[in-house]
Amino acid sequence: MGFIWEGVEEAFELIVHGDAEVMQILGVTLHVAVFSTALALLFGLPCGLFFGLGRFRGRRLGIAMFNAGLGLPPVLVGLVVFLLFLRAGPFGGLELLYTVNGVILAQAILAFPIVAAFTASAVQAVPVGLFEQAQLLGASRRQLWALALREARVGVIGAAIAALGSALSEVGAVVLVGGNIHGQTQTLASAILTEVASGEYARAIAFGILLLGLILICGAALTLLQQRGEGDGAATPARRWRAS
Amino acid sequence: MSAEATLAARDLGVRRGRREVLAGVDIDLHPGETTAVLGPNGAGKSTLLAVLAGLLSPACGWVETRGRVASAAQAPALARRSVRANLELGMSWWGVPRAARRQRALAALAALGVEGLAERHAHTLSGGEARRVHLARVLAVEPDVLLLDEPFAGLDPSARADLLDDVAGVLRSSARSTCVVVHDRAEAWALADRVLVLLDGRVAAAGPPPQVLDRPPSIEVARFLGFSGELADGGEVVMARPGQVRLDPAGPLRGRVARRVPVEDGVRLEIELARGRLHALAPLPGPELGTEVGLRLEGAVRLPRR
Repeated sequence: MGFIWEGVEEAFELIVHGDAEVMQILGVTLHVAVFSTALALLFGLPCGLFFGLGRFRGRRLGIAMFNAGLGLPPVLVGLVVFLLFLRAGPFGGLELLYTVNGVILAQAILAFPIVAAFTASAVQAVPVGLFEQAQLLGASRRQLWALALREARVGVIGAAIAALGSALSEVGAVVLVGGNIHGQTQTLASAILTEVASGEYARAIAFGILLLGLILICGAALTLLQQRGEGDGAATPARRWRAS
Repeated sequence: MSAEATLAARDLGVRRGRREVLAGVDIDLHPGETTAVLGPNGAGKSTLLAVLAGLLSPACGWVETRGRVASAAQAPALARRSVRANLELGMSWWGVPRAARRQRALAALAALGVEGLAERHAHTLSGGEARRVHLARVLAVEPDVLLLDEPFAGLDPSARADLLDDVAGVLRSSARSTCVVVHDRAEAWALADRVLVLLDGRVAAAGPPPQVLDRPPSIEVARFLGFSGELADGGEVVMARPGQVRLDPAGPLRGRVARRVPVEDGVRLEIELARGRLHALAPLPGPELGTEVGLRLEGAVRLPRR
């Protein structure tokens, strides 16, 4: 049991002293998480809005595909991206394998269905009458999408939280596509794997605590934003009541 | 399109699969005039409004408008923001300049008696308040043609009566053309300059309220308008509303009470006669079941049997 406390102590030492190696891994982890989440939002939000708002044939199938994508095995995505970007593969010329950009792409592919499915579901939960009324008053498609995003913001921010959580903690695709190269493509999650493999349990625990802290901080920040969105615009005058 | 109409539609037809939802509907909306569309559930009233609003393309016929058409959907769906922000959002969709929105929002809320709710969050409103805000949102855009789909649906009787009075006042004081889908005759009387009765997707009657509501042109329209009593008279049918049937021992008609249903201010009687059946209202306690009563008709209509 001693190594657990050792790990906790080491984690605090690494954080407090700003260990260069830890900071570098932390930097890569944040870089990958932020850019892959941004990429997933960039493509996932319009898709979620399109399928959530649209009334066309194949819409349900599309949403079912997004929902199925929530269970996409990261290792499989990593394998597909790996094969596509192998030097002999169709996109080998892009030279993304074993690079941070390759890892970002793989993580974005994993986060995309999360964003699209959550957004579509949140938009579908908005009363249809509101969009109908907007159309009746001449709202453009851009205005409709803006309305949908704003009305479904609790679900949309939930999608961003889930995408970011996935990007921070995912290992399989990172290792396959990025190669888990120390100092280059290694993230906190993949570093834990390396440390455990080499018997450095205390360091693995330290990285685990850092990762957990990061997930909690990012999750809490987005949740605060989400909950603020929930009460946004509530200019209800204060009410007072008294027990009888 | 007649010179003065702001909206005209001719020979409108809508099909859903094999079912004809609307057929051969003509309608003209004139400035300063309110047209009420009455009809039972499934008659095609909301479909007609959707076609007039441009939300639905007709299978045949045409709609022509002078000016812009705004429509209030049946459900009072409001966005998650303050009441005033909801009205300003509606005006932004319509293209009202930002500088004019606040003043117009407050004016529209005042017209419907809810200016005090301007800063309240929309999701804290009661059903009646939400309806008023919903209507204020379309009034605020100041359209040339206003279409209202059952603006009083889902309200309790007292909220409904209050809103009816306010909406009637707002509509009468304006130069816009209005078409309102309503569910009962009282609403049509209070709001409309013209009434159009839709039955099975076709215009079964059209004209000023006294002409349509008191002198329906056919048995089907009369039944829908509450003429529930029917007496055969040769090739014709005499039809009467309960309020037009008086209990009078010296009356020319005689019948037997077949059913008694207590209502708000007395009892509703179903009376069997040799040539048909009439309904009458009587103060409590009213005649017992099986009692023979004398009757007199006041204002019944006589229609040819088909």
